[in-house]
Amino acid sequence: MTNPGSDSGNFDIVEHYNGLLKENSSISSPVAAVDSLVKMIEKQHATTMLEFMMIVRTACDKLKKATNNSISLSAGCDVFLQQMARLSHAQSVDECRKALIKAGADFVQGAGRCRDNVADFGSPFVRDDQTILIHSYSRVIMGLLRRAVKQNKRFRVYITESRPDQSGLRAAEELHQLGVPCEVILDAAVGYIMEKVDMALVGAEGVVESGGLINKIGTYQLAVIAKAAKKPLYALAESFKFVRLYPLSQYDLPTYRSDLLSFKDKAVAKVDWQAELARSNPMLDYTPPEFITLMFTDLGVMTPSGVSDELIKFYLD
Amino acid sequence: MESPKQQSSAFSRELAANIEDFIAKLKRGELQGSKTVALKTANLMRHVVADSRWDHAETLKHLLKTVGRRLLKAQARELLIINIVCRVLHIVSEAAPQINSGKAAASTALAVDSGLRGAETPAMGLGSSSMSSRNLADQVSSSLLRAEANLYHTKSDIISEINEYITEVECAEDEIARNALDHIHSSEIILTCGRSRTVEKFLLTAARKRKFHVIVTECAPLYDGHEQAKALASPNIEVVVVPDSAVFAIMSRVNKVILGTHAVMANGGLIAASGTHMVAAAARHHSTQVMVCAGLYKHAPSFPFDDDRFNTLMAPDAVLPYGDASLVGAVDVVSPRYDYVPPDLVDILVDDNGGHLPSYIYRLQQDLYDNANDLAWNIPDQ
Repeated sequence: MTNPGSDSGNFDIVEHYNGLLKENSSISSPVAAVDSLVKMIEKQHATTMLEFMMIVRTACDKLKKATNNSISLSAGCDVFLQQMARLSHAQSVDECRKALIKAGADFVQGAGRCRDNVADFGSPFVRDDQTILIHSYSRVIMGLLRRAVKQNKRFRVYITESRPDQSGLRAAEELHQLGVPCEVILDAAVGYIMEKVDMALVGAEGVVESGGLINKIGTYQLAVIAKAAKKPLYALAESFKFVRLYPLSQYDLPTYRSDLLSFKDKAVAKVDWQAELARSNPMLDYTPPEFITLMFTDLGVMTPSGVSDELIKFYLD
Repeated sequence: MESPKQQSSAFSRELAANIEDFIAKLKRGELQGSKTVALKTANLMRHVVADSRWDHAETLKHLLKTVGRRLLKAQARELLIINIVCRVLHIVSEAAPQINSGKAAASTALAVDSGLRGAETPAMGLGSSSMSSRNLADQVSSSLLRAEANLYHTKSDIISEINEYITEVECAEDEIARNALDHIHSSEIILTCGRSRTVEKFLLTAARKRKFHVIVTECAPLYDGHEQAKALASPNIEVVVVPDSAVFAIMSRVNKVILGTHAVMANGGLIAASGTHMVAAAARHHSTQVMVCAGLYKHAPSFPFDDDRFNTLMAPDAVLPYGDASLVGAVDVVSPRYDYVPPDLVDILVDDNGGHLPSYIYRLQQDLYDNANDLAWNIPDQ
């Protein structure tokens, strides 16, 4: 990759990003992305605005390319780029850099509050004696349920196993520690269990402009079943996960690869189906907005159509 | 929270008595009807602004909130109190921008000192754009304003704003009725449910120019549909009263359902007279358009996270007369006052400004209330 005339070359942004995620499991990838970008601009000495902006853009592209799950990461990068565009009217590069570092650091600090805010807005929806279905492991859902436990609410939770990484087990373990009665169900048992459920909660990898969401595979089918059973489905997401995408189908996602679930070559004599399963299955799916009852975000409770409003407010400001 | 004694020192004796009186009326359930409650609450709020001791908008807001909380405690299920108090709080923040941006102005000063222009280091992230869009000039002028802030003027500003709001509440029906001719056409068959003054005005205004049929459901056990039918009687309207049980059968002939409501929730759902949900569901089955007339003061800045929280039960006497002594002891009789109508059964909500989709309501409310704060405020202490 070309590195236009600066010594930011000795700072590996991808390494920093991965290191952040590894050492702190509670940090979300958009926040880690902004943090990495801040560290990066601290270390480089561009002298013209154009050069400065180019370095930041290259770094964003580098980050996006380096990870296979780029959706929520790109939300962080976009927020950073938008901020840079706003600040680019500053008199000098140094001033812009300083302002950007400050804004970025504030953002990273404030991000911790986001999950608390979601819990503030969402916890009244959890009531005594409810049965809740959650999908996969999501930190923001955990935050909300932890808050509800602190408010002495008594509820039960069904958690989907969420293949292939079985992240549901982790959620079950955490809830068990909190003393919440919980049960892990097979992904295929969502339809079976829906009748007993009062509401479904899902997190989001990214919330898109239409108000739909991109999340761990299985969210879409859960949403369809919840809608068919007329159960409310609430999506939880911090506002920095709002991304400027408008997928029209499952295959519009940036994570889509043409080798996902494409039929095998007939000529191959023996196929290891077990190995194929993990290799050729997608990890994310897209849930259209009509399946989402409400969204709990740190900006408040909103209908899915509120997402595009917020995105427009931020990006067209 | 302050003890009642402490806060009452901020109020004059007359005001304190006024508040107590209002609370007593709320507790006894003497105040019925959304408009009555709205106007009474707004008047009380005006009294608090005019007649209590405060030197800062934050102090005033705190006072209003404490009074609001006490009212809510007296009648926790009355959404209109929340609406009005939140609206008045919004008016206070609008009328006293210097207080609101006091913090921002201070941070601007700091930023300028450190060689950075405050307006150019807006917070990063979504939802902070309203802060960042306030430019430096605004911040400086507001801090200047603050320096010469004249409390007397602020007070009279706020009061005249509240007066304007009270007039708005009073005239809401007339304003809504101005849209009537856009929605009602000649020889249509319209179905409405129970007694609603807003719907009455709406239909009568349309009847000045058009001739149409109105079917009124009687809305047992209150039977206030009879009253509505009487009010609607005019040369151009042919009124038919039907029992509630006939709604589904008659719906196939109906062109349009026009409903009144007690309150509109932030997701576009309704808290309306019991029986409304059934009418809306029947309309959906027959793909009949459902239109709801509601003044802006009925918009509640909260989401229906608990269907029962906003409902009340009425005396069951109307369902099962106490005279039936042998039965009264043997069965439980429940007579809820309200229905929650989910937003997907509503096609259009008509207010003073015209028609809106239910999904747009939360956006509308962002202009009416300091939304996020209000939501946090009216969630009851757990």
